[in-house]
Amino acid sequence: MSTAIGKDDRKKKRTLVLRPSSRAVNISGSHGFNQSTKHTTSILGSSSRRSFSLGAGSKVLDKSTVQTPRQAVRVFDEEDNDVTPQPLYQADPGSVQAKASRFFLDEISGGSTSDQTITSASFSMPFSRSVLGSSRFSSQSTIESINEEMEDTFPKRDMPVNLPDVQGKRVAVKEQVTENMLNAVIDIYLSETDCISLLDIPSTSVSVEADNADTITERNKQYAEICKNMVGNEKYVDRSIQTLNDALKHKQVQSDSIVMVDAGTFVSTWEMYDTVSGPEPDESVSDSETKKADIPEAAVDSSRAAEKSVSMGSTTSTGSVTSSMKDVEAFGNSLNAEADLQLIMLSERFQQNLLATERSIVGNVFQPKLAAYRQLLVLDNPDRSLNSEAVEQKTEGSENSPALEYLWTFSCELSRGRSVSSMTWNKKNPDLLAVGYGDSESSDQKPGLVCCWSLKNPTWPERFFHCDSAVTTLDFSTNNPSHLAVGMHNGTIAIYNVQSQNNQTDVINSSECPNKHMDPVWQLKWTLEELSLTGEDKVESLYSVAADGRVSKWFVSDTGLDCTDVMKLKRIHDGKLKAAGNKTEKKTESVVSALTPGLCFDFHPTDSNIYLVGTWEGLIHKCSCSNSQQFMETYKKHFCPVSCIAWCPLSPSLFLSCSSDWTIQLWKQDQFAPVLGFTSTQKAVCDIKWSPKWATVFGVVNVGQLEIWDLKSSIMDPLIVESAVPPVNMKCLLFASHTDCLVVGDSVGQVTVYLLKNMRIGKGSQADVLEAVIQSATSRF
Amino acid sequence: MPTNYAEVEETLRRIQSQKGVQGIVIVNSEGIPIKTTLDNSSTVQYAGLIHQLVMKARSTVRDIDPQNDLTFLRIRSKKNEIMIAPDKDYFLIVIQNPSD
Repeated sequence: MSTAIGKDDRKKKRTLVLRPSSRAVNISGSHGFNQSTKHTTSILGSSSRRSFSLGAGSKVLDKSTVQTPRQAVRVFDEEDNDVTPQPLYQADPGSVQAKASRFFLDEISGGSTSDQTITSASFSMPFSRSVLGSSRFSSQSTIESINEEMEDTFPKRDMPVNLPDVQGKRVAVKEQVTENMLNAVIDIYLSETDCISLLDIPSTSVSVEADNADTITERNKQYAEICKNMVGNEKYVDRSIQTLNDALKHKQVQSDSIVMVDAGTFVSTWEMYDTVSGPEPDESVSDSETKKADIPEAAVDSSRAAEKSVSMGSTTSTGSVTSSMKDVEAFGNSLNAEADLQLIMLSERFQQNLLATERSIVGNVFQPKLAAYRQLLVLDNPDRSLNSEAVEQKTEGSENSPALEYLWTFSCELSRGRSVSSMTWNKKNPDLLAVGYGDSESSDQKPGLVCCWSLKNPTWPERFFHCDSAVTTLDFSTNNPSHLAVGMHNGTIAIYNVQSQNNQTDVINSSECPNKHMDPVWQLKWTLEELSLTGEDKVESLYSVAADGRVSKWFVSDTGLDCTDVMKLKRIHDGKLKAAGNKTEKKTESVVSALTPGLCFDFHPTDSNIYLVGTWEGLIHKCSCSNSQQFMETYKKHFCPVSCIAWCPLSPSLFLSCSSDWTIQLWKQDQFAPVLGFTSTQKAVCDIKWSPKWATVFGVVNVGQLEIWDLKSSIMDPLIVESAVPPVNMKCLLFASHTDCLVVGDSVGQVTVYLLKNMRIGKGSQADVLEAVIQSATSRF
Repeated sequence: MPTNYAEVEETLRRIQSQKGVQGIVIVNSEGIPIKTTLDNSSTVQYAGLIHQLVMKARSTVRDIDPQNDLTFLRIRSKKNEIMIAPDKDYFLIVIQNPSD
């Protein structure tokens, strides 16, 4: 061995490269793996402080040195005797070569290589184990890896592989796993190995109940006797004796270092609570994950420890195995991350969190507008630098005239391009607005859409439902606040439940009903009826008026929605006018009973039995639910279809009607001629609504503009006029109940929210104010 | 009922396109960002720092009442706002500058 060491010292820096063809080994290299079966010196033993490194510099092979000729190495002494040491181990040529993982080759850097010789050797030939002798030698793995390298980089040769029987640390071989292999049933046989006795120290004590206990006790007694008799007895002589101490020999033993890990934890109140209240079902998953994470740490630690504890007598260290394991783990982690993402994104909690986040973000964006809507004080953002624009706006706003302030628009990709046909607020949650989209006037009927918008997110509706046909009217129910009734252009009435997240289809619809409307349903309303006089039971019924001239009441039956006709709108000809001009038409009064399309209706705010219907002919009929044959009253003034009727919510005997003849009429219930009429533009009036807060204020939408009228200030002109940008027409309007805002829908799918500012309406009972106004107006004539 | 993957992606896209949103990061329970729209260094920084903060916040909430738990955390700073939705398995972090 000393010779070897001497040689090592001399040639420390030498790089050793071996080629398969060269059987002659550079024996003076410090780490030499002889490839031939005959060896000169055992070289490897001296790598005490050196770790063995086979880099991917097996590729270095290519730039390596000269090819030494293939010769057997033989040692001769002075007398030319062949004293070539025989190998201790004869390789079995037929042994199977195992394919080792490629990782080994890359990772067999055994740690600190500061002062060490790095041998970038690529070993293409198998080397015998005899040289390597040590049991801890993990270059068993190197053998395998080298074999693999060898095969990859060189043409296949018929080389016997010297593989030891006992493998050192081995990592499982990776091979391509096919689908079939995964599915194949593999039999695994478990069997007991022979008992290997490692230590056997027979016990010196025997149980009292053992079989030979009696004999042993006997013998013990005899011995005790003898010992007693020994004292002073002539038979026994005391003698000293010297034991020879053998020469001491140091023997070193190396073991794996004991890995010690410090663990500490901080226990807080809720951790104790969690423990006490029971582990959650997901804990087992997290446990296994943490275990996995621990293992590579432990492996890394042991490798480092191993390097440190390499002693003089050992051979090489084993850093390779553990670091390769680390790689495997890291690879596994990245796969887990992607699977995690999928799982997370599909979980319900994530979606709820997304919803909350989206609302917060949108809330940030729209904060000043929403604050204005809620009539909160709008605070300037103190961090934002004030530029001149902001200052200008402030000065403008100091005027005190009534004005409409634009707040925001509900619009999204879904609704773009569709015309808004109707809107309604939810009865229970006044922040929820249902908007129906559908173009009734155009010839091509696109399928309709209903969107439920929430104030919390003006950029995307909370719910949307696609309908078969253009939506013409909507209403939310009062008793079941999540039920939304939708009337469509093809006469179908559908009821949707907006509470369910996923339900894109209606709960019930009237398509099966034999009595269903064949023509567009122009208006729907849920009304509460009082069954008993005490008014406790309020039954809600759905009424509809359609273009086929019927007012129907709907109820849920076995086959879906079913209806009964509450009123048929008979066409009325003014007999006198016609008769004067044409004799043949004298009889037309009784004959012509075709139905005229009903376009709108409204129930009385306090007496739900009475309602008004506006027809195509321009007539307004006051009807009662209890009488389905005759109208109670008829109001004639309009000569064009009446598009909207609205009872005044604050003054129950007044109502407004508007029609395509450019006029708006204010009627009193018992007068057959309108009390007041209003015209402002020469365009058809689409929609009219009373303000819920001020009795003298109402809003009007005609084709090109939005008008706010205040009867107190003027009965000739609207108070505020907001024009629409030309290609866009305004279609419908709605006042908000709790605030001073109103919403306007237009023909491109936008629903705009405006705030009524500076409406200086005096205090006092609103109805009285209105009455007074009317009195003063009518008294002029 | 969970909706499908496409709708979730759609919602994320909508959030990303809101005014002033600078980035979205989704971090899993081990602190590894699994989805992000920011650059790498910022992502890693946010993931690491916010993890600690959320742990602290959650610990605070639960120490006061162990039956309570943290559902949402918003940090408003001079330049932007960081919104964090923490959960057992992940964090969802959105950074927005609403005065853009």
